[in-house]
Amino acid sequence: MIQFEAVKKTYVSGKQQVHALNGIDLTVETGEIYGVIGFSGAGKSSLIRTVNLLERPSTGRVLIHGEDISTLSARKIRDTRKDIGMIFQHFNLLNSKTVHHNIAMPLILAKTPKAEIDRKVAELLEFVGLADQAKKYPDQLSGGQKQRIGIARALATNPSILLCDEATSALDPQTTQSILDLLRRINQEYNITILLITHEMGVIREICDKVAVLEEGRVIEQGSVFEVFSNPQHATTKRFVRSVMNDELPDSLLEQIRHNDGTRPIYRVQFTGNSVGQPFMSRVSREFQLDLNVLFGNITELQGIPYGNLIVEFDGAHAEIDRALASIRNDNIQVEEVQQHAG
Amino acid sequence: MQVDQSQILEALWETLYMTGASFVFSLFIGLPLGILLVVTRKGHLLENEAVFNVLNIVINIFRSVPFIILMVAIIPLTRIIVGTSIGTAAAIVPLVFYAGPYIARLIENSLLEVDKGVIEAAQAMGASPGQIIFRFLIPEALSSLVLALTIAIVGLIGASAMAGAIGGGGLGDLAITYGYQRFDTVVMLLTVAILVVLVQGVQSLGNLMSRRVRRS
Repeated sequence: MIQFEAVKKTYVSGKQQVHALNGIDLTVETGEIYGVIGFSGAGKSSLIRTVNLLERPSTGRVLIHGEDISTLSARKIRDTRKDIGMIFQHFNLLNSKTVHHNIAMPLILAKTPKAEIDRKVAELLEFVGLADQAKKYPDQLSGGQKQRIGIARALATNPSILLCDEATSALDPQTTQSILDLLRRINQEYNITILLITHEMGVIREICDKVAVLEEGRVIEQGSVFEVFSNPQHATTKRFVRSVMNDELPDSLLEQIRHNDGTRPIYRVQFTGNSVGQPFMSRVSREFQLDLNVLFGNITELQGIPYGNLIVEFDGAHAEIDRALASIRNDNIQVEEVQQHAG
Repeated sequence: MQVDQSQILEALWETLYMTGASFVFSLFIGLPLGILLVVTRKGHLLENEAVFNVLNIVINIFRSVPFIILMVAIIPLTRIIVGTSIGTAAAIVPLVFYAGPYIARLIENSLLEVDKGVIEAAQAMGASPGQIIFRFLIPEALSSLVLALTIAIVGLIGASAMAGAIGGGGLGDLAITYGYQRFDTVVMLLTVAILVVLVQGVQSLGNLMSRRVRRS
């Protein structure tokens, strides 16, 4: 478990103070995959580095399994770091050493016997799917392979926590997918808690249980991935969600909405989870004598829960439309009128 | 030609001896200083402003004194260390004062080239400062370190030629006393030719070793 309590980080450069973190409160439960997303400069990088004290918080505390490690001696801090694996955007492997040596490094530092090291490295290479690459050097590998080596190295000391610092940001979409699959496997098979930072909402949607949105050193929104995606509150969060949900209305539809004279109002209908299965359209249509015309829509899945978003034109008597809307809202389906300038 | 073969061989030996011995001593001084220059700087492993500033200034002072002046200026110190201020052994002292700070700077340069991310990864896996220096920084910089030290050796060969001024002997001494002062062009050309071959050999060897240690 990782707990951030009122964590602040201030850098002094010359006479200027830069507040990288402005009071962060977050709790990452054991076994979770927690994603922190933000634009560059939001403070993500500082945040993840306070966990293993690569950055020391200026004020506030970070607790690892209930213990504030900033109060420990240098030696104890190093021991704690062995329980926290970390992978990086640019992999940070030793180019002068073989793949085997790179993965063995944390064990060499811990003075593990050689036979034990060889056994563990072979096991890790097998796990990340690079069993035949042990004698190669990092510059002979692709980006995805290098990140797999980084992951194997991070797992060598059997950590309980894995920190991922933009681990897929330097990779192409297909490789990103395979690395994310690997991270999910690590989380499930070894029950390792994962804290990741990213600027890609796709990464959050793909593997995270919970998400926090960071802006100017503050958490502006947090919650389960499903909550945040289906009902983003903050403008920045909405931008991130929109970047992967593709609910942008096509131009032709916007044109149609613009010329809507109000006789056939257009609504955005969002339904989630249990409500997806309901045949609400045909029911409403029958009950209130309306013609419903779906202009645009998509249904996707978040953490295994379906999530839908439809743009619907309601045609019928106004009084009936109002009653229909009330009835739909009653079923826990969100409905809002699409305004002329909405998009 | 006013010199015979044995005199040339002796001069060659003196040059090799002065260069070799002063290189070894300089490395002993320059390596730790170079490492300290890197790890005590701001934001690094063992940040220490006082140590860094003192080292930085002292090294700059030694680096700014021309070798020929340095050689004469530290004669009293040379006398304390080797008991005499004249001869090949006496020439080694100023050579070390010349090359030690130089090597420190070269090593600093090479170590600074190591990707900061590698150091961060080392810290994240719980490596101690000593482990980071010897298991991460130096191995990653080794290829570049070898090239830097090659430059230092070539520089020492050149500087040792000036040691003739305090009776240090060597090829430079031979070239001055016979080639220049006694107008023996053959001796002059011969010593220069030997020095050229020597420098070429050292540089080729350095290049080869640098390639060899790139992957270890």
